[in-house]
Amino acid sequence: MNDKLVDHLFRHHSGKMVSVLTRIFGLKHLDIIEDAVQDTFIKASISWRKEIPKHPEAWLTKAAKNRVLDIFRALSTQKKYQSSIKTGTDAIAINELFLDSEIEDAQLRMIFTACHPKLDPRDRISFALKTVSGFSIKEISTALLTKEETIKKRLSRARKAIQTSDIKFHIPKGKALQQRLESVMEVLYLIFNEGFHSNTKAHLVREDLCGEAMRLCQLLLRHGHTRIPEAYALFALMCFHSARLEAKIGVNNEILDLKQQDRSLWHFPLVELGNTMMNKAVKTDTFSCYHYEAAIAAEHLRARSFEDTDWQKILQWYKALHNLQPMPIHLLTMAVICMQIKDYERSERFFQQINPEDLEQRRYLYNAAKSDFYAETNKQKSALKHLEIALANVNNTSERDYLQKKYTELLSKA
Amino acid sequence: MKNFMMIFVGKEYTDLGLSPEDMQGRMEKWFAWGSKMEKAGILRGGEALTPQIRRVTGENRTVTDLTSAEVKEIVGGYYLVEAKDFDEVQKIAEDFPDYDLGNTVEIREIMVFDK
Repeated sequence: MNDKLVDHLFRHHSGKMVSVLTRIFGLKHLDIIEDAVQDTFIKASISWRKEIPKHPEAWLTKAAKNRVLDIFRALSTQKKYQSSIKTGTDAIAINELFLDSEIEDAQLRMIFTACHPKLDPRDRISFALKTVSGFSIKEISTALLTKEETIKKRLSRARKAIQTSDIKFHIPKGKALQQRLESVMEVLYLIFNEGFHSNTKAHLVREDLCGEAMRLCQLLLRHGHTRIPEAYALFALMCFHSARLEAKIGVNNEILDLKQQDRSLWHFPLVELGNTMMNKAVKTDTFSCYHYEAAIAAEHLRARSFEDTDWQKILQWYKALHNLQPMPIHLLTMAVICMQIKDYERSERFFQQINPEDLEQRRYLYNAAKSDFYAETNKQKSALKHLEIALANVNNTSERDYLQKKYTELLSKA
Repeated sequence: MKNFMMIFVGKEYTDLGLSPEDMQGRMEKWFAWGSKMEKAGILRGGEALTPQIRRVTGENRTVTDLTSAEVKEIVGGYYLVEAKDFDEVQKIAEDFPDYDLGNTVEIREIMVFDK
């Protein structure tokens, strides 16, 4: 087993162990628990240098079980802790918690904790990646393209919120469950998107983010009370997008758009899985954003080539999505779709509904699209003007290169 | 194959005033024992009991609330295992970590009527 696999195993296991131990000792002692789990991994990596155990997962679980006693002792010295361990038979109850089904239950509880309304929405993703998925602060900062300091702050703010509001380590019931599930799905969706759309060059991190989001979504689908049509739709969406993950990166590590992607690289087993999930997702009267987004992704995958794309259908899904969740970016997308089918009048109508300021840091996308619009309707001067604005506002290097190339081409034609 | 219950009877660690180190050592053995049975694929479940007791007794239904410290011994929990016969369970029970405290394992077979 190489270092990378060991890292992967540790990370994967860390979330499980932190969750199980939290079930035993409570969220109040999360710090001590995380330290203890970390310590287990340090010990493991030292002892594994000589020989890797035959069943590393079992080794780690056993080590974590023994950690229970260390934590117990560490807490006993703090007077405020009322020990729940009183006798040997308590080991039976604890032992049960380390069974696979109970580990999943504990992880589910941790996801729901991470998405508690008392936590700032921005802190939820960092906290989930740390405690549920076992990412290090450095990995989270790479994945989210955010400074390590900021991540640290978010994590400590999340912990503080958990302590001060005395959040319980359980899955909510009834109406509260429905609301919290929405927040859980949103966090999973965001984690996935960070992986899928992120521009970080660290491939592994991107794949890990997408993989984690999918794993956690599957966890939702495996449990009766969290298995809802929206979650199926979200999982379908993730399948459809992941099917294209590999085709999205070119030989020079550049990002390829749908037009440039080699469609033979798409991973069809994932498309099929997505279709199966979608069939389950549509067994409901009301569709969610995830339903529409999955439908759009599926439509793209259905086209044999970019030119084959059924833009009318995609436009129709976008309209439904925009009705449910009005966003300027959807209007912009619809304007671009109309350009694909050369319906410039309709495209212009969509453009007119957008206030570019609302797009904030994605404003350059508006100008880039507007530039395309003018280029195609033979207004080269306006096209150049908008591309200049776009270039002045774009932050991402690969996107800047892409726009710069376009600008040079446009200039040579003018 | 039959199902057996191993019932653990005796004194609680805290009532015996065991040191944290001693408790830690014993818990490790309990965990190891549980894992061993799990690995062997014979563990069917188990539960631990809390030390509070409410005893209802006699025709008058006399109620007494007791703690583990107030009784000579207490049932602490059980493991459910699958085995061929009593002898095999007895062998499994050899790993019980608390014989030296005077604690006991009681082996009972689970009754089935569909023979």
